[in-house]
Amino acid sequence: MNDKNKQPAVPEESAISGKIDYDELRKLIGLLEEKGLSVFELEIEGLKIKIGRNAPQPAPSAIVPPAGPSAGPEAEAAAAAIALAIDVAKGHHMITSPMVGMFYRASDPASSPLVDIGDIVKKGQTLCIIEAMKLMNEIEADVDGTVVEIYGENAQPVEYGQKLFAILPLS
Amino acid sequence: MISKILIANRGEIALRIVHSARELGIKTVAVYSEADRQSLHVLLADEKVCIGPAKASESYLNVANILSAVDITRADAIHPGYGFLAENAKFAEMCQTHGLIFIGPPPAIIRLMGDKNKARQTMKKAGLPILPGSDTVIDDFAVAKKIAAKIGFPVIIKAAAGGGGKGMRICRSSSQLEDQFPIAQGEAKAAFNDPSLYIEKYVSGARHIEIQVIGDSKGKVTAFGERECSVQRKYQKLIEETPSPFIDEKTRRKMMKEVEDAASEVGYQSLGTFEFLVDENRKFYFMEANARVQVEHPITEIVYGINLIKAQIRIASGEKFGFPFELVMRGHAIECRINAEDPTTFVPSPGKIDFLVLPGGEGIRVDSAAYGGWVVPPDYDSLVAKIIAYAPNRDLAIRKMRAALEATTIVGIKTNIPLLLEVLSHTDFLAGQYNTQFMDGHIAAKAAEETL
Repeated sequence: MNDKNKQPAVPEESAISGKIDYDELRKLIGLLEEKGLSVFELEIEGLKIKIGRNAPQPAPSAIVPPAGPSAGPEAEAAAAAIALAIDVAKGHHMITSPMVGMFYRASDPASSPLVDIGDIVKKGQTLCIIEAMKLMNEIEADVDGTVVEIYGENAQPVEYGQKLFAILPLS
Repeated sequence: MISKILIANRGEIALRIVHSARELGIKTVAVYSEADRQSLHVLLADEKVCIGPAKASESYLNVANILSAVDITRADAIHPGYGFLAENAKFAEMCQTHGLIFIGPPPAIIRLMGDKNKARQTMKKAGLPILPGSDTVIDDFAVAKKIAAKIGFPVIIKAAAGGGGKGMRICRSSSQLEDQFPIAQGEAKAAFNDPSLYIEKYVSGARHIEIQVIGDSKGKVTAFGERECSVQRKYQKLIEETPSPFIDEKTRRKMMKEVEDAASEVGYQSLGTFEFLVDENRKFYFMEANARVQVEHPITEIVYGINLIKAQIRIASGEKFGFPFELVMRGHAIECRINAEDPTTFVPSPGKIDFLVLPGGEGIRVDSAAYGGWVVPPDYDSLVAKIIAYAPNRDLAIRKMRAALEATTIVGIKTNIPLLLEVLSHTDFLAGQYNTQFMDGHIAAKAAEETL
């Protein structure tokens, strides 16, 4: 089957390759939940993925401040860890909110959303509107790429630094 | 009535406002920078909104994001705490036009007190004694020279927009004034975007003593007994006490009465502090008024048995206000500011607090937003905790404070506790004989001892 004279033009595909894709990662996360695991680490061809899940929390006592940021990734919320693993693995580019305000996916209530998952956007293209101080601020894409995730709910408040869109840059 | 307060601040004062509001049945919104995600005021407030990156100019001073946070949380009042936007008249005005209650003095009062020279002239008219000096701001050295010659050296030049010692220079001769004047101008321009200076006669060996006031919405102003704040380094207060070991009852009454009258005259509302220089003969001179709650307000609360923050919130909500009992000063209170800094070099020491034990028990109050595992961010001031000791008299309060500081354990960062303990055992401090030069003298003496 393997012809020595024939070099593959593209890297060999394997079940889990160095270029892990989104569905594969989804499967991993599903597996994690199914098996009730809390942490899963995978290292393959220089790519390292660590996925964490919330372990059952002890009963809340009085005021227990969470461990400080340097207490390790285990202390962080599982959702954030999973999302981060996806972002890193996929090379997603994050569009975060540059201000505090109301998030709108369309330029007016009657219009359809400015972008949807799967849309290809150009750098400079308006992705959403954030209303702050009675002003409508257009939030633009700063890369060319495909919208792969939309985090904000229409007409909901967003804070500074909150994730709005994940874009897979065109390479 | 106020139902939800957005706290435009961080650290211990934000936490103090959270607690006071909760006691009053008012909800709170914490705003925070990315550096303060794990801060206690954020974790304990009812709601939270991230308003920007660590840099204060993009978060705690970011008016647009703060007012947007008000919008999305539907808060109906803002408490600015101290520092940041607390004495920004324009911000207070914007809150009002936004239909918000600004928990602080009216914008006109903030604006007046923010112009240090104008405040001085206004207070003079309202009956407070001021030091000889310039009547208007000076932007020309020749004028400065003329005034200095008239009032006599030494003189002190100060920034009209000033605070925190910036643009402040003591000059003992005409040539010194000539050298220092442009430097002070440059400093004032850089710090406040306003190079305006004014001149005062410099009084050496003076004490820094201040009077707390609270004015209600009906025009009634109440003054409290003095706070002695002479233990300071580079114009930063380290230890405050009330009553002052230097002020007698007659002077106290006189100061309180004159401040009450002057503050009423200008229509003072909310909390404020009138700062005075007091010379060796107990003659006092108005320096400036701070239109906000101050770091050292707890010592006044303790000797009077009141809560000034709650009073401030209730006044802001337009309530007819009165303290539940007669205001009488009882006992003695001392506050020590625990800063994250090297006790000898004063280099800031931010970082993770690995282990923390704060003192407590009878007569000890701690205002702090620190906890074990918390990281003191390098982006803001170095105040980690305020420890307040209360006892029937000064001697007992000092002993209590020493015991409290010795019991305080902060592992992971350096603090100024060793320096505070030195002061609390210093003969001059124990005798109550100290002025604003005390810290410099103590530090210089220590340095000299080490080189021997």
